[in-house]
Amino acid sequence: MNDKKKLDRRGFLGFATWAIGGIIGAGFGIPAIAYIIAPAMRKEEEQEWIRLGSASKVELGTPTLFKTKIEKQTGWITNEEEVSVYVLTENGRDFVAMSNICTHLGCRVRWISDQDVFFCPCHNAGFAKNGDVASGPPPRPLDQYQVKEEDGQLFVLGG
Amino acid sequence: MVLKIANWLDERVGWSGVWEAIFLRKIPKVNWFYTLGSATLFTAVNQAVTGILLTLYYVPTPDHAYDSVQYITTQIPMGWLIRGLHHWGASAMVVLTVLHMLRVILLGAYKYPREVTWFTGVFLLLIVVGFGFTGYLLPWDQKAYWGSAVGSSIAGAAPVIGEWVLRVVRGGSDLSAVTLARFYGVHVWVLPASLILLLGIHMYLVIKIGISAVPQREDEA
Amino acid sequence: MNKQEQKEYLEQYKRDKEKGVPFYPDILFKDAVISLVIFLALAALAYFIGTPLEERANPSDTSYTPKPEWYFLFLFQLLKYFPGELEVLAVVAIPTLAIILLFFLPFLDRNSKRHPLSRPWVTVLVLGSVVGVLFLTVQSIRETPPPSEAGQGDPVAALYTENCAVCHGGTILVPEGTNLHDIIAQGTHEGMPAWSGDLTSDEIDALAGFVLSPGGNALFKEFCSACHESSELVASDPIELKMALDEGLAYAPHADVNIPEWSDAISQQERTALLNFLVAPDGQRLFATNCAQCHGRSVSFAGEEAELRLLINQGGLHLEMPPWRETLSNDQLDALAGYVTNPSDTGDGLELFTQYCASCHGDRIPTMDDFDQAREIIASGGAHETMPVWGEVLTAEQFDALVSYTLEAAQGTPLEVGQELFAQNCTICHGDFGEGGPNPARPDDIIAPISTSEYLKTRDDHTLFQITAQGQPNFGMSPFGSAYGGPLDDDQVTALVAFIRSWEADPPVDLPPEVNTSSISLSSDEVYEQLCAQCHGPDGLGDVGPSLRDPGFRTNNTPQEIFETISNGHEATPMISWGDLLSADTIQDLTDFILALEITEAGVIPQPTPGFASFAEDVMPIFEAKCVPCHGSMGGWDGTTYDAVMTTGDNAPTVIPNDVENSILAQKIIGEQTYGAIMPPAGKMTNAEIQIILDWIAAGAPDN
Repeated sequence: MNDKKKLDRRGFLGFATWAIGGIIGAGFGIPAIAYIIAPAMRKEEEQEWIRLGSASKVELGTPTLFKTKIEKQTGWITNEEEVSVYVLTENGRDFVAMSNICTHLGCRVRWISDQDVFFCPCHNAGFAKNGDVASGPPPRPLDQYQVKEEDGQLFVLGG
Repeated sequence: MVLKIANWLDERVGWSGVWEAIFLRKIPKVNWFYTLGSATLFTAVNQAVTGILLTLYYVPTPDHAYDSVQYITTQIPMGWLIRGLHHWGASAMVVLTVLHMLRVILLGAYKYPREVTWFTGVFLLLIVVGFGFTGYLLPWDQKAYWGSAVGSSIAGAAPVIGEWVLRVVRGGSDLSAVTLARFYGVHVWVLPASLILLLGIHMYLVIKIGISAVPQREDEA
Repeated sequence: MNKQEQKEYLEQYKRDKEKGVPFYPDILFKDAVISLVIFLALAALAYFIGTPLEERANPSDTSYTPKPEWYFLFLFQLLKYFPGELEVLAVVAIPTLAIILLFFLPFLDRNSKRHPLSRPWVTVLVLGSVVGVLFLTVQSIRETPPPSEAGQGDPVAALYTENCAVCHGGTILVPEGTNLHDIIAQGTHEGMPAWSGDLTSDEIDALAGFVLSPGGNALFKEFCSACHESSELVASDPIELKMALDEGLAYAPHADVNIPEWSDAISQQERTALLNFLVAPDGQRLFATNCAQCHGRSVSFAGEEAELRLLINQGGLHLEMPPWRETLSNDQLDALAGYVTNPSDTGDGLELFTQYCASCHGDRIPTMDDFDQAREIIASGGAHETMPVWGEVLTAEQFDALVSYTLEAAQGTPLEVGQELFAQNCTICHGDFGEGGPNPARPDDIIAPISTSEYLKTRDDHTLFQITAQGQPNFGMSPFGSAYGGPLDDDQVTALVAFIRSWEADPPVDLPPEVNTSSISLSSDEVYEQLCAQCHGPDGLGDVGPSLRDPGFRTNNTPQEIFETISNGHEATPMISWGDLLSADTIQDLTDFILALEITEAGVIPQPTPGFASFAEDVMPIFEAKCVPCHGSMGGWDGTTYDAVMTTGDNAPTVIPNDVENSILAQKIIGEQTYGAIMPPAGKMTNAEIQIILDWIAAGAPDN
């Protein structure tokens, strides 16, 4: 009887020890996980309208390059990034904004007005005026930005 | 099924023997003061866990140290807790180490056959102090910078080699990026490695020899 | 503990163990509970108190009060009780000894008894140490009162509490003969900052006085502070102070003030304490207040220290005055004697005094009441007692400080003099360390550093002297030399130059703080826009500096020369050396960029049209405005008169009548001739002005 009672006490202590261990483990573990995965849980930064410049700068029928700088916050460091966008309009009202990054391997494309083509120097890829693949290895047309015009200023959605 | 796997493993790993040797050994009845050693060990584990977590974001350069610490504290969820546990744990570890040592001294536990355990313990105390000293600089705030500037300059007061020691400690004559880098290196590599080694010996001896019994007062002759 | 006792212990332990409990779960449960308690406590501390993070570390902020982690405070406090040489004890000896004792404890306490009460020595020693450490820690916290509350109504005590008490506690014991002013100012003491950066000289002296004589501070507060600021009196003449104390109401400025008779109110001892407080052992200041009146600022003494000590100590007899009757007429002697008996009489006496006496007596006129006596002294000369017996006035510390300063300063122009002058005259624009900054005289202009080794290498002492003395009117720097209407005499300018020169070996700033080499990674047009355009104009057409698009500029500068000018700067113009700030590649790009700028039409340069231009009415006013500020006195071409214009100059003649093309003056102002300085250094003249001068030359350079 006595012996059994003692055993019960030991059993309880053993159980309590494990329980406390579990509590402490959770006390460390749960915050640790939250802490570690925090960067992944962070919401993707909201896309913002980036001002490119005056819409009147765009020549009719010729892709025009706009360069603008945006601030990017990574961790505790703020960097400036350059965004380059080709804007094309045929009628001065409807604009198409294309990224200047080749969809093949990410080189920068250039508008060659003599040949009416976006030329990528890395693998001799060519894109037509509207961004469609004209020649070479790219898998898809140039990426397009959502674009709007307000008070004569062009904006693209990005970030 | 679980039992079967456990038995299969035990046959090859032999953990039940270890379990019996460490956890099922009998030890003399002791009072609550005897938990100070385990408590110190717990704070050491706490420092290790939170310290490792802090290094995931912390950058030990004058440009980034302060910003990254601030980032941890204000931007990362639970960052305040991890850093708080590490900060307060450091103080707790010093206090508990000293209390543990006082208990050992007052109850004569350093005597035969536990002298070697005691020696490792003294070194462990110095390591803990070293952790406190090097860790103080890492947040790179005013308190850290000036506290460490004064603290390290005290080393320079030693005769003959003082100037030399100061340069070694600071990695130059001024407190600089070099100082921060070496304090960090010592804090996360040199001291932890020493701590693990000495703590291993310390624990091995404690388990092997057994915890000292509460001394009874003999009748004075 | 012998073998027998060891065996007994092991057996006893075995019995204890058998009576004991298994580690799991009995003991481990307790450990787990304690661990949980600790964990919760730490989390609670983190949550409720948080983890402090102060301002970002600022290595230039010496006003911060350093505080180590709390568990090092007791060591920190221990240092306070071991000043000076003894510091080694607290820093090295005591901690090392403690650790060794601790380590060898098992060998020191070999008794087999284990109960604390059976081992009183160890127990008492350990508990004593614990109490000691706790006491020191508490003491350390107690002695760091919040600065705002400390020393209210007692500025010196507040100064002390704020700056010194943190490390030094309430009082400091200073060994005899310490030059406390130097220690405080230069921070020669281990771990102590150089306070001269944060405190004024008056404050440092007040602190030195406070440390040496805390009683004096209390007395000052009680008796003097109603009328005097301590900082005002620490800078005053010790003889005056002593007189004020000794003479009491008889002291003239105190005559109408309702004060007690000091000899009744304050004992002799207290008066000494008060004097010690007020007259800090600051050699430089003591010299300035006590000696400079007669000896001027340039200290010259070539003898031994002992000799100097004796001289100062005994005062009086060291100056041999010539017997003036041999050189002066009776009338002159009369005039001089009349002047010293009545200095307000500004007859011939003043002139004679200035001529013959002032070189030794300075402007301190040795006044006498008795005309005949004065005349006799002047006439016969010989030893006379103008110098006070300083041994009676100064304390030992003050005396030592004065002697050591004099000896040190006599080694050359004391840098301190130059430093002080710099602080008074130059720091407003050039910063404390010559690092430069925004130009207060010209908006949007940045004054480049003058303390870089690069700057100093390219300018010799003579140039620095001239710049300082004549100023740089084009950049809003006024002349400082007394010859040009400035406040400094030649000696002072020389001292200033010596001080500035002292930076060359050890430049306080290598780069202006706001410019960092690594931060410039701009394209050359951006570099141009940010750096060059300040002087050369946004379009390179010139502003302060010359036009870079001028055809003359191109023909006179090879690309290599342009590169070198950018790298090394241009002596005698404000163009600084950019080699420190820009990489060679950037400078090369910049050179290419400049060369690629479109050259302006040659037609932009005014063409000479022989016409009417009057030298006196048209040309001279331009010279006076643009050239004469420098070209009247600095040597080289002189633009002050017609003759000088036509004949002077290193490559004279500078003006060849009827020949604009070959006249150096014309080449310079057009900007074709850029060998040497570009003129005017502040930027091209207006086309109208150039036109007038060219016309005048083309018309034969008449003196009309």
